[in-house]
Amino acid sequence: MPDTLKFDAIVVGGGPSGLASAIIMARAGLKVVLFERGRFAGSKNLFGGVLYTSAIQEILPGFMAKNPPFERPVTEQGYWLLSPDSVVRMMHRSEQYKVEPAAAYTGLRARFDEWFARQAVAEGALVIAKTAVIDVLRDNRDRVIGVRTDRPDGDVYAPVTILSEGVNNLLTQKLGLAQGDLPPRLVALSVKEVIGLPQATIEQRFGLTGLKEGVAIDLFGDATLGLPGTAFLYSNKTSISIGVGMLLEMFVEHRLRPHEVLARFKAHPAIRPLLAGGESLEYGAHLIPEFGYDRMPKLYADGVMVAGDAAGMVDAMHREGTNLAMMAGKFAAEAAIEAHSSKDFSARHLQAYRDKLEASFVMKDLKQYRRMTDFLDGTPHFMKTYVDFVNDAAMRYFNAHDMPKRDMEKDIVRSLGKRRSFLGVAQDVMRLMRGMGL
Amino acid sequence: MAIHIVVAIKQVPDTSNVRINPETGTLIREGVPSILNPYEVHALELAVRLKELHGGTVTVLTMGPPAAAEALRECVEQGADRGILISDRKFAAADTLATSYVLATAIQALDAELPVDLLLFGKQAIDGDTAQVGPGVATRMDVPVLSCAIKVERFDPVARTAVIHRRVARGIEVVNVRLPVLLTVEKEIAAVQRAPLANMLRAVNFQPELWSASAPVAFDPAQIGIKGSPTIVGAAHTPSLKKAGERVTANPGAPAEAVAAALAARPHGGGSCLDHHSGGTPGEAEVSPKIIVWGVCRSPYD
Repeated sequence: MPDTLKFDAIVVGGGPSGLASAIIMARAGLKVVLFERGRFAGSKNLFGGVLYTSAIQEILPGFMAKNPPFERPVTEQGYWLLSPDSVVRMMHRSEQYKVEPAAAYTGLRARFDEWFARQAVAEGALVIAKTAVIDVLRDNRDRVIGVRTDRPDGDVYAPVTILSEGVNNLLTQKLGLAQGDLPPRLVALSVKEVIGLPQATIEQRFGLTGLKEGVAIDLFGDATLGLPGTAFLYSNKTSISIGVGMLLEMFVEHRLRPHEVLARFKAHPAIRPLLAGGESLEYGAHLIPEFGYDRMPKLYADGVMVAGDAAGMVDAMHREGTNLAMMAGKFAAEAAIEAHSSKDFSARHLQAYRDKLEASFVMKDLKQYRRMTDFLDGTPHFMKTYVDFVNDAAMRYFNAHDMPKRDMEKDIVRSLGKRRSFLGVAQDVMRLMRGMGL
Repeated sequence: MAIHIVVAIKQVPDTSNVRINPETGTLIREGVPSILNPYEVHALELAVRLKELHGGTVTVLTMGPPAAAEALRECVEQGADRGILISDRKFAAADTLATSYVLATAIQALDAELPVDLLLFGKQAIDGDTAQVGPGVATRMDVPVLSCAIKVERFDPVARTAVIHRRVARGIEVVNVRLPVLLTVEKEIAAVQRAPLANMLRAVNFQPELWSASAPVAFDPAQIGIKGSPTIVGAAHTPSLKKAGERVTANPGAPAEAVAAALAARPHGGGSCLDHHSGGTPGEAEVSPKIIVWGVCRSPYD
């Protein structure tokens, strides 16, 4: 085989985990090739819209000098609880959020990933776009020794491969590291729209002064028809990212069309005025792996590691994913670098990758919320019951009724009793705490 | 026998994505991706296929801003051997006359280095749609030009002849031509094949050869850029959508009465057409100032 087709490491996929691993390995002097099936890295990638800088800093120290294409720093964030006609807002804003670099920025993946790929190229990695990896090459002892791309004469070889192939983890499945296809109970489907509005309009509607401020709002309740799921509303420079996500199973079970759920959410009286006059710039949908800690694929085998969405590294509870993916990419890269220095690419050696993950927040968080999907599954009424209750309680609390406040408070408690028995509430709280790993 | 093919390309805004500012009549280029002009994708493909058959070199050249290097890279991915970017602020605002001067001069320099057997251009660029640069280069170089080529039936570098099919208004013209020849091609000229992986790996570190206005070829300053461009764009506008004509349902036996009634009701125009026509293009009915009515009567074949 010609030397041009031999590398020190192969990375499959130009998303946060793949690019992070390519950056770290190339910086350490490894000859790295990364394959991306889209026209460019980021062209097929989609997320809600918040990037966390602590992980970026781990991969690219001093990244702010490289002009990352962020939209706005998140200087105000929180939750909106939507009932069909009301909203309770729990927002946090702080001067501390305004210190640069901010902990979080809103962003668009087509721009951010493209920039991230340019950093990988600058470090010396070969980033090959428009090329899909269709199979994994193994030797007679089942060790991964390379990949097959969809191009003529498209086999390449390396002693170690990192699969950052995304949620649709076909290669991971092919290797038997993940068991079968994605079950609808363990993947969420999120639909998103980017709505263009003038900068001044966005700032006026969200109470922002200039591009150094931005909001990130997660919404619960009526946004998902009271079903388990979340919606989001993030401010970009001259657009708003809005979307809604639920477990795929919910769409199937309730015969809901994703775009209709989003359209319904956009028409909510608390949301519509924020979008008025906007122009739809982009529309997309993406699966989000919510496998949970206990159902993650096996993360390594001889000559191969799995990182990012392909391994289910998403913390749905805190809308985190890209940061987990970047850290996983970094740990996988470090394991690959160590494997090269000891010339041992066996599973036993690559276990260092899993060990690093376990020692970090990545696996600790995934472990803590390991029962979250079970909680949502077991208490599908949760959002509807409590979000409506909170809105109802607020209505009673904030109004003068010509009745003693004590009676009003009793009314509030009674209104909860009507929705759910005392025992039911106690059970829900217990389940929630278990879901949160408390 | 090894051949040398030169493909001239242009990087263009993806006009399938482009919008026009209704006030100024100019393209809104912001956020519109740049692509390799689609006809040249196929021109290059033909070059690569011929190179595979006969051996030799495919040289791609373009005049454009530094960003056009990306279009050249795409050509290297598809199999080009050499990419030349003719780029200098002095070339800015060139019309088709200045552009054909620059390309012809550059190709003559390449020809002196390694004789060129075939010159390939796209039929036209999808942004300007002039179709003038290819023929302009051929004229300056005094080589035969065949526009709208759709097929290379035979290409014989030893006998120095080729048989080319080209689309003309009334059909297909089959031409026996001596080499070198310049073709401007349609998309049918060659189907695009998926580039082998080795090409992708080679292209990833590709850097074009940069030619300025003075080196390695000294272009005549009077014939390049805005100085060499006599074209003046007086105004640009977006063609307005044609409004649909009005339909009048008529009794098949007496269409004229319906027309007369419609015209009487609307003496100052507004296109009208009959519902029971059996041909013609009633939607194009134009009225003012002269009234034309497309009323087609039933033919005996109905």
